[in-house]
Amino acid sequence: MRRSDDPAKQVTPSAANARTAVGLEEDSALAEACRTGSLSAYEQLYQKHGARLKSIALNLLGNVHDAEDAVQEAFLKVHRGIRSFKGQSAFSTWIYRILLNSCYDLRRKKQRRQETPEQDLEPQGTFEAPAAATDHPLRLALEACVARLSPHYRNVFLLFEVEGFSHSEIAAMLGISEASSKNMLYQAKRKLRRLLSESEKSVKSEPS
Amino acid sequence: MKIECKDLERVLREQEPPSLEALARHAESCAGCARELRLWNEISAVAGHMRKSWDSPGLWPRIQQALVAQSQDAARAPRIWSLGWLWGGFARNWQVAAAALALLVITASGAWMLLHNPEPAVEPDTAKRLLNKQAVREVEAAEAAYIKSIEKLSALAGPRIEHPATPLMVSYREKLLLLDAAIAECRANIEQNRWNAHLRQELLEIYQQKQRTLQDVVGEE
Repeated sequence: MRRSDDPAKQVTPSAANARTAVGLEEDSALAEACRTGSLSAYEQLYQKHGARLKSIALNLLGNVHDAEDAVQEAFLKVHRGIRSFKGQSAFSTWIYRILLNSCYDLRRKKQRRQETPEQDLEPQGTFEAPAAATDHPLRLALEACVARLSPHYRNVFLLFEVEGFSHSEIAAMLGISEASSKNMLYQAKRKLRRLLSESEKSVKSEPS
Repeated sequence: MKIECKDLERVLREQEPPSLEALARHAESCAGCARELRLWNEISAVAGHMRKSWDSPGLWPRIQQALVAQSQDAARAPRIWSLGWLWGGFARNWQVAAAALALLVITASGAWMLLHNPEPAVEPDTAKRLLNKQAVREVEAAEAAYIKSIEKLSALAGPRIEHPATPLMVSYREKLLLLDAAIAECRANIEQNRWNAHLRQELLEIYQQKQRTLQDVVGEE
């Protein structure tokens, strides 16, 4: 599902359509297996989507512990609600939507526990993430700026630019139109550009 | 497709591949648009590195365990519900039932004693109004059992009566206060004449009313 930046890896529309069809077929077979309650089906689901689910959760929640809790909660919700899944959307889209809701529920719970005013469901200040292979300064700055985006913009940006979902997938996950998804991404990137240039200026103005 | 500087925002917003290609061609000869496009693409390139990946060997076993537990809970749920419901109903009602049974026994024995007094100690015309020693002892024992039963019910109904949450509870509270006043008055009269069958009967009836009222309070959801 991830869009490839490498032109060599780009595929023709017909090949892409064929791959999508196969993906959807696998998707619905997996959904059917999960519906029977088979643990191996859930394990397969974890193998297929676990890494991406964890990544999204971490980018939304800011720490590994909460991210793993959110992924676990998403699996439990999928298990509880699989009978209500009628295939209106792709199974994977449904799972990611559940994960996003789990992340927001978890954050709300934490905020309530901390008795802090629930403003914009911003991620926690500290970002306790696994060390990246290349801690690029621009990446760190970008992460800080993404955390300052409003939830809708942040979701679209993370899902499109970081996780590589298409606008149609994001639209299905967030219950918005494709045009809205594109517009939100544009607004998110515009704001990020402004925030990045502001932080760049403040770094330059600091005495060395 | 011809793209100009004024189209930059629209193209970036719409993200249609042909327009983006045309914008890239335009940027080759436009420094301003080239700079914008480069910054735009740079954000996308760096964002690709924001994808997080870490080993969590314990996560799947944890999820698996939680799924199994959830399945077991779901399988047990209907049985738990019915047992829970039965137990809850029993727990709620056994004290009420016990109190009702005690009331029945007391009423029956009281009635029996009053109607079938075996040894009238006084003249026939006064027998209806006065009790003998044995009958007084039995009635007092019955009253004591009544009081005990009422105390149990009062303990159950206590919080609802002390802090009535509904108008109905307020009415019950007022009724109970009136009954308590009537009991106190009746008992004061009995102190004056403990052989009086009429007063004893009246006291038993008031106790009965109080017990019924308390049962209603306890039974009220």
